[in-house]
Amino acid sequence: MSAEPIQPKQREESAGLMKYSAENLVPFGPIHPALKEPEYFKLILEGERIVQVIPRIGYVHRGLEKAAETRPWVQNMYMFERTCGICSFVHSLAYGQAVEGLTIYEVPRRAKFIRLIIAEMERIHSHLLWVGLMGHWAGFETLFMWVWRDREVVLDLVEAISGNRIHKSMNAFVGVRRDMPEGMEDRIVERMKFLVDRARYYKEIIDTEETMLERTEKVGKLSQDTAEKLCVVGPMARYVGLQKDVRLNDPYAAYDEVPFDIIIRNEADVHALLQLRLDELVASANMISYAVQHLPDGPIRVKIPPIIPAGEHSTHCEAPRGEIFYYVKSGGGRTPERVKVRTPTLANLPAALEILKGQTIADVPIVLTAIDPCFGCMDRMSFLDTETNRQWTWSGEELRQYGINHYFPERAKK
Amino acid sequence: MSEVLLQQLKKHAENANGKFTVLRKGEVAVEIDQGKIKGFISNLVNDLRVSHLSTMTGLDLGQNIGIIYHFSRDKDMIDLKTFVPKTQPTAVSIVDIIPGAILYEMEIHDMFGANFEGNPWMDRKLLLPDTWPADLPPPLLKSSKPAEIRKRLHLEVESK
Repeated sequence: MSAEPIQPKQREESAGLMKYSAENLVPFGPIHPALKEPEYFKLILEGERIVQVIPRIGYVHRGLEKAAETRPWVQNMYMFERTCGICSFVHSLAYGQAVEGLTIYEVPRRAKFIRLIIAEMERIHSHLLWVGLMGHWAGFETLFMWVWRDREVVLDLVEAISGNRIHKSMNAFVGVRRDMPEGMEDRIVERMKFLVDRARYYKEIIDTEETMLERTEKVGKLSQDTAEKLCVVGPMARYVGLQKDVRLNDPYAAYDEVPFDIIIRNEADVHALLQLRLDELVASANMISYAVQHLPDGPIRVKIPPIIPAGEHSTHCEAPRGEIFYYVKSGGGRTPERVKVRTPTLANLPAALEILKGQTIADVPIVLTAIDPCFGCMDRMSFLDTETNRQWTWSGEELRQYGINHYFPERAKK
Repeated sequence: MSEVLLQQLKKHAENANGKFTVLRKGEVAVEIDQGKIKGFISNLVNDLRVSHLSTMTGLDLGQNIGIIYHFSRDKDMIDLKTFVPKTQPTAVSIVDIIPGAILYEMEIHDMFGANFEGNPWMDRKLLLPDTWPADLPPPLLKSSKPAEIRKRLHLEVESK
């Protein structure tokens, strides 16, 4: 059945005039595994407003934790790097640190700096990707295009250092696999300067451009108390004023040697999240510039035997999306006994469900993208009005258009 | 880890008949009985201000299912360990103290088969498919074999 155009104004008026007695159930997702991650949300509506959200994930669960139990320690490092297609490096870093904690070896200082440089480049590329997506969902396509063009700058640098754009495979146990190429320093500093300028410009845009302001201001509110109870991590914690940043609280790699600004906001809306991520991007760029200029000499790696002593160790790192957690248990053999992975999206999901309550359908793409989840399930959405038994289906594009029309009726496509 | 927090943790662990071990600098483990877990966690959250639950880990310990609550506050990590027997895998849910634990409990329920009494979403699945056969052991137990799962869920890829 094709979509029947609904005039947003009419819909809102009718919602105000007559109280919906029946609850509407809107299944949201799970579509298109080719995009990032499919997830499924059951939205229960009262008129236009969401009253309850029930999540269902696991559509791309590949059983990595089970697979890790049958694979050698080293092989697992590269397998866990493939947990995520955006923040891949930080997974291998957290796993590597958990395993290194069971051995007696110390990571060389130069390797710690290289780890920091790659991790921060990953943060820049992830944040830029997210800002672009926010532009897309808000109906501001120009921002999406510009930001993704600038993202290539940092991806090129990552490729020059590691040989790969996304799955860098830079980490090894107790060190890194590749050294920084000779003579890269000036180029990195110059490119970081360019990115800082661009980030400042984008910040100016999101602060002045009507499209972004209308869609993001006062949308996605979360109280500090609720955030703390729901154990949120990363930017989602920092935008409500909680000082949660593993880089600061429990420094790993070279974070105790490289100065950086921690960005904390108090407004707790999507607009603050945009500003926060752009500010963090500037902070990351400054860190990279500092790190390449103060890169110490020395070895980059220590070779270790393939058997890891028995014991257990848990570590956390600050991924672009927040705290990432690894727990490793060794029985003293060639394979781990148990590896537990907790990605930041799972930690932030309960908070996202909380934020969605009280929002309108038009805000769903913005709010769900705001937590920067690793998924892209907005390809298709089907509606069931329990009162009239009318069913219809919207594609992701139609949903996006509906959101834009809801806020800017004058721009509605004729 | 600050000396004050260490001493307070030790005291609380002793009160709950728990075993207290310092794993390494900044990481301690407390082993505690299933029945006392809720009281201990509410002390942790309310008295010691350790409110961030990083995650919960399930473990296959042979006869038992191990559950580790990973708490952290700044540099300090506190691993709170408990277990339930496989024959009667009923644990107590902590969602009324820490609402953020809801998905972690569901995950252990899916992957190890432990039930958390008091979790409102225990009847739902989070990660496993809806068609998961009831007689198949939960996937992260050592007795579960990937080949068997592929066969039962019809996930085998035909070789050409």
